[in-house]
This record gives sequence, structure tokens and C-alpha cells, in this order.
Amino acid sequence: MPDQKAISTNQMQKTFKTRQGFWRRTTRVTEAVRDVTFEVNKGELFGLLGPNGAGKTTSVKMLSTLLLPTSGTITILGLDILRDTTEVRKRIGFTFGGARGLYGRLTAVENLRYFAELYAMEPALTRKRIPELLELVNLLDRGNDKVETYSSGMQQRLHLARALLHDPELIFLDEPTVGIDPVGARELRATIKELKARGKTILLTTHYMAEADELCDRIAIINKGRIIAMDTPAGMKSGMTSESVINLRTSNENLTALKAILSPIDGKATILCKENTVQSEVSIRTAHPSRVIEVISPWLNTDLIQTMEMRSQTLEDVYVAIIQNEEANG
Amino acid sequence: MIRKLGQFFRLYFFQAWFSYRSLFAWSTPFSYMTSKFGFPFFSMLYFVFIGKFVGFDNPEFIVIGNILLMPSINGLYGISMTIGDERQFGAMSYLLASPAARAPLFLGRAFFHIIDGFITVLVALPIAILFFGLGFSGINLLLLALCLILLSITTTGLGFIMGTISLVSRDGWMFTNTLGQLLFILIGVNIPVDKLPAFLQPISNYLPMTRGILAARQVLDGARWLDVSGLLGGEILVGLVYILIGYTLFRLIERASMTTGSLDSI
Amino acid sequence: MGNFLRLALRQMDVQLRMRVLSLWSLGLFFTQPAIFSAVGMLLAHAAGNANPDLIYTVIGGGIMGMWSGLVFTSTFDIRADRREGTLELIVGSPTPLRRVVGFRSLLNILAGSTSMLAAVTAAVLIFDYSFAGINVPAVILSFALLLFGLWCMGIFLANLLAWSRLSGTFVDLLEMPIALLCGFMYPISVLPSWMQYISVVFPIRWSLQAMREAMRGTAANAELLSLWGISLGISLVFYLFSHWLDVKVHDHIRVTGELHSI
Repeated sequence: MPDQKAISTNQMQKTFKTRQGFWRRTTRVTEAVRDVTFEVNKGELFGLLGPNGAGKTTSVKMLSTLLLPTSGTITILGLDILRDTTEVRKRIGFTFGGARGLYGRLTAVENLRYFAELYAMEPALTRKRIPELLELVNLLDRGNDKVETYSSGMQQRLHLARALLHDPELIFLDEPTVGIDPVGARELRATIKELKARGKTILLTTHYMAEADELCDRIAIINKGRIIAMDTPAGMKSGMTSESVINLRTSNENLTALKAILSPIDGKATILCKENTVQSEVSIRTAHPSRVIEVISPWLNTDLIQTMEMRSQTLEDVYVAIIQNEEANG
Repeated sequence: MIRKLGQFFRLYFFQAWFSYRSLFAWSTPFSYMTSKFGFPFFSMLYFVFIGKFVGFDNPEFIVIGNILLMPSINGLYGISMTIGDERQFGAMSYLLASPAARAPLFLGRAFFHIIDGFITVLVALPIAILFFGLGFSGINLLLLALCLILLSITTTGLGFIMGTISLVSRDGWMFTNTLGQLLFILIGVNIPVDKLPAFLQPISNYLPMTRGILAARQVLDGARWLDVSGLLGGEILVGLVYILIGYTLFRLIERASMTTGSLDSI
Repeated sequence: MGNFLRLALRQMDVQLRMRVLSLWSLGLFFTQPAIFSAVGMLLAHAAGNANPDLIYTVIGGGIMGMWSGLVFTSTFDIRADRREGTLELIVGSPTPLRRVVGFRSLLNILAGSTSMLAAVTAAVLIFDYSFAGINVPAVILSFALLLFGLWCMGIFLANLLAWSRLSGTFVDLLEMPIALLCGFMYPISVLPSWMQYISVVFPIRWSLQAMREAMRGTAANAELLSLWGISLGISLVFYLFSHWLDVKVHDHIRVTGELHSI
């Protein structure tokens, strides 16, 4: 029975020591990732979500052999990342978000050839793979243009092609759609789905909850270096399934008055207020939407409530709730 | 009027400090010291030994010359980097789109480089004087200090010009570097200007620092105010012309960039 | 073997186009050495010396070009890859960084040889240098050993650079002292004796000395042999040390995360 796990970590930790100061050097210890344990099955599309600086990229770098964990074990495709580093590298592909990581003065084809050589690919195979991949990421007609002339979306797609060159079984995509326009992002998501259909295992990090909801089989939410929730997207949403979200807008002057009106539903709903420059937003998450409507309906045609919107809970709501809950409980 | 003047100076010093810190910055005392003293010190020694081998038996001349050249590290490299790097960091469009007055914006960049350059040479020169056993007794120290601060200022004109070139050319840094190296030959740092081939001497005379370095050397030999006043006057004039050329060039390029959008492309 | 050669060619091709063919390295290969040679010639002129030894003052500039080009391209590479985010892609590939660095340094040195060529051409065409008595095979062998010594030092420096971005300051600082200590533009005997002792650890000092003796045709074979032997031996020490360092670097950068920082 072959090992069915693509990724398996046990109490993975990463601590950075940074030194600061001009004259007096002080050492600051940052615990980027603490005690992270999870498994990803072969063929699964796994999402790692979390705020900036939560430890997503550090985790991905450890899983892709670029950083050594301070403690804990990591097994990739049944191989130990410390002992079998080279073997792991042959079988994984990875991209990191942003425009870095390509040689701007070379063309896309030249970039791919260069990296193909680093993966010791046979020339015949390289010649066959490059046009295929450029077609997959929709860059075939621009393959011979210098990469510095590419838009950020095109560079992002070229990153994906580069990661796929040696046909890896496991692919790490760190914020693949960051900085891409909506059409480009949709195309990229379609490509990712296609990769999954071809049986690839994919670990994806993203800030976009809709993207995670659409793509991922399972997601983990990471905050301050710890996994604080892990489930299927549907499972996460069903945890608070009976809840709805009601968003109200009001002018800043009327915010206090509106809060007072909402006081009867305290305890039956979670109320979040956000004061912007002109308007304030009040977001009410509740399991008793009808009770809330009852309370606010007399005021709907007054200045107190400018707009109202009601919807069922999205993954983003769940995410925000989990992160805020975590912040509140330290 | 007063308010406007206040604004002008605030902008000047803010620009000065900000650009000095952020673009010519150092992260540790070690890297600051090496970037400032490392290359100049070792290239100076190298020139001394090259001179010794070919029979130029006046190491003192080379050492003093290279020390007097030190403000150009700030004035030429530092300033051209602070201006040129704006392009690389993509911050130039924000500056140009701001309503800020241009003169303090541009000239402000020089202030701390002038101070830094002056202090550098102020520290290095006495060390050399003591090393060669020259003693300070016959030297008009005030006049020497004046020469040094003047050199720290006049060298900035080259920096403004090269920085502006770096704004429009990706290889501007290379031109700056080449110019910096030509200074080893042309302005009387290693070789006395009157010993240069005849075709090079006029070039030397049209460059900033040439007269200032000569004046400083004469002051070190005991010259007084009247002996060097002509040289210092010439140095001020040449220095001002270069600063003015740099500023004009900057304004021209600023105007051109609005039509071509050339400042943002890298 | 085919893989190895293809990797070599691809690395060298990219290196040539990305790093070497720039005004920056042309400046290092040609402008800077020309300036230093010019200072030497003009100082000779100022001192009333009509016939300075061109092997040092002009051809020595070629050595300087090779060295400066090597220091900056080999180290700038790593820094540029770090900045462009390609360093971690290279480290994350199955090809060892050591191999990539090795091929790149090789190209840097071959490209730097053009500096030597330019210096020799200048010596012959501008200053009528005659190469009377030159021992050609010995010059070629010395030059090959010089290249090998430079290569070993290059990969050593690149490893230092990969170790930490702070070492960049240190490596920049090395350019001049080594030119100074190894006597690129004057005989070692010009230096105070304590400085002469420091330079014994650099292989290029010895191959350089052998090359100059061979250009003049003055040295006995025994002397050349011993210079070659010393140069080769020290080069190998540098090579082995780099190899050891490479393993350390690979672990170190993955602990500190220096790989992606700018």
C-alpha cells in the first residue's frame, strides 16, 4: 500500500532570529510558525488561509525545502525533507506570488529553458513541454517576448508554467492570483482546476476567500503561526450555518443612535461597527435574522439607515469571525 | 512670505534627511565605515605603490590628494545615487506629481551629503598629516577648513548632473562611475595637473575640485588667505556653474518626462 | 555527461546575457583597469621615467580587469538572484547551487580574459611592447593556472555571498586589497615585507609571478615549476574549502531565511 499522503507535518515550527539596531545589536526572536500539524492527501487541493504575516509563506517554504524547520518533522510524498532533499525537489514545483523570480531580460521560452536545465530535463522533452505549458497558461503568442515587457498577470502565469515544467506531483502555489485582474484570476483558477483534474496535489495559499471556497477541497486557517481551524469549505460554513449577515450603512453622526436601536438584539447577534470617512458600516451576524429585521424595520425609511443588505454567510464571514474570535481570546 | 519661506526650508531639510537616510543608508556601522573608507583607502595605497614602482617618490602627494577627493564619494556617488535611485524605486512620479517646490526638492538632497563629506575629510586629513609627520604648526586651520567645506559643496554639482542622467538612463550609474574614476587622473589627486599631458590640462581646469584641491595643498604648505583667494574664487565659480547645470538639466528632463513618460520606465 | 554540458552551456549563456554583457561589467573589464594603468603611466611621466615596465603598468591592468570583473560579477550574481527572487528557485531545484555558481564563475573569468587581451593589445600597439624572449608554453600554462586560481577564489566568494547579504560589504571591500597585495601592477617586492607575507595565501599571486617571468623568458624551469605547484596547491585548498562551505551555506540559508531577503 503506497503512502497516500502528499504532505504530512508533525509539530512543524520555525523561529527566526533577527538582529536590529545600529550600535547596540539586539536579537529579536520571531516565532513564525508554531506547532503546525496537518496532512494533505494525494490528489487533494488544500488551501492555507490567514492574514498577512500569519506564517503561510514560511510554511510553504519549509514544505518546499527552502527553509529548514526549527523543530518538527515534514514528510513530502513519503520522503523526509531533511534526508531526501534532492529527491523531494525533483518531485515538487512551487511559485511565490509577485513579480520576482524571473529573468526579465530573457524571454519566457528562455526562462523556461533555463529552469528546465536546472531540473535536468532531456532537451527533447523540454522542447515538447514548453509550448504545451505556454498554451496551458495562455502565453503561447508571447513566448518569445522579454519577460520585463509582461504584465503582472502574465508573469504570474509564467511562474505557474515554470513550476509545472518537470511535471511535479505536488505543487505549491503561494498567492497565485495576487495582483491579477479578475479575468486573469478566473483563467488562472480554471488552470488550477484543470491541474487538479489531472491528479496533481496542490497546496494553495490565498487571501481571497471566494477563491478558496471555489477551489479547495479542504482549508486550514492559520494565524500567528498556528492552525486555528481546518475543515472543508462547506464544513466551515456549516459550523455557523444558521447565521446570516445583515449589513447596514449609516452616516457617522448617526452611528451612536443606530447602535442604541440595536441594543435589544445584544447577545443574539455579533455586531461589528466600522467607521469610514463619510459613512459607517454596521455588520450584524446573527442566527435570528427575523428578530433583527423586526428591530430595525421601523427605521428603514429614516436617515438612520441609508442602505440595508442581507445575505447568507460566506467563507469570508467565517474567516473573519474565526480570526476575530482568535484575536479576542488572545 | 515668511510662511512660504518656512515651508521651503522644511521641505529642504525633510528632503535632505529623508533622502540621505533612505537611499544612501547603511545598516551597520561596519558597512557604513567600509563603504566610506574602504575603497578610498585601499585604492590610495594601490596608487602609492604604483607610484613607488614607476619612480614617483612622493607618496605624501598621492595620500593627501586621495583624502581631498573623499567628499566626492558623497557629492558624486551619494547624490547621483539618491536622485537616480528614485527611478529604480519608482518614487519619482510621486515626487514630480507633488506640488512641492522643485529647488528644495532637488538641492535638498545635497545637504547631509555635504556635511557627511566634510566630516569625512575632516577626520581623514589630520590622520594623514600626523602619519607623515607634517605637523599643524604652519597651517592656517581655518583656511584649510574653508577649502574642505568648499570641496564638499562644489563636488555636488557633478552629483546633480550624473544623478539627473541616471534618471533617464538605466546605465547612468556606469557613467557616474567612469567619471568618478577619471577624477583619479584629472583633478590633481594622484598626478599634479601641470605634469599632465598638455591636452588634458584644459579639461582639468574646467572641472570642479581642481582648484580647491590645489588650494588645500598650498594651505597645507603654509599658504595664507591672499595666496589662495584666486583659486578659491575660481573654485566657487566653477562649482556654482556645475550645480546650475545639474539643476537646469533636472528641470528640462522633468518637463520632457511629462510628454514622454520616460521617468517611470525602467 | 550530456546533462552536465547542457547545464554548463545554459548557465553560461544566461550569465553572459544577464550579467556580463552590460556597461557595468565593461567598465570593470576595461575602464577601471585603463584608468589605473593611465595613472601608472602618468606618474611615471611625472617622475621623469620614460620607460616604465609595461608588464606591470599596462598588462597588470588586464589582470586587474579580470579580478574586478570576477569579484563583482560572481558576487553581484548572487545578490541579483537574491533580489530578483530567482535564488530560491535555483536552491529549490535539484541542481546544486555549487554547480550553478561554478559555471557562472567560469564564464565570468573567460569574459574577463578579454580585459587581458585588451591590455596586451594596448601594450603592443600603443606602447610598442615587443615580448622579446617570451616562453609561450610557460605563459599559457601560467595563464591557465591564473584562471583556475581566480575561479577557485570566485566560487569561494560567491559562497560567502550566499551565506549572508551582509558579507556583500566585506566582499566589495576585497577588490582593492587583493589587487594591492598580489601586486597586479607592480612587483611584490615594492610592498613592505609584512604585506608580502599576507599575499602568500592567494594562488593568483604565484601564477601571476610565473606568468611574468615566462613573458620575459628569464626564469629557470625549476623556478616556474615551483611557482606553478604553489599556485595549483593553494587553488585546490580554496576549492576544497568552497566545497565544504557550500554544504554549510545550503543549511545556513535555510535556517536564517537569508535566501529571499533583499
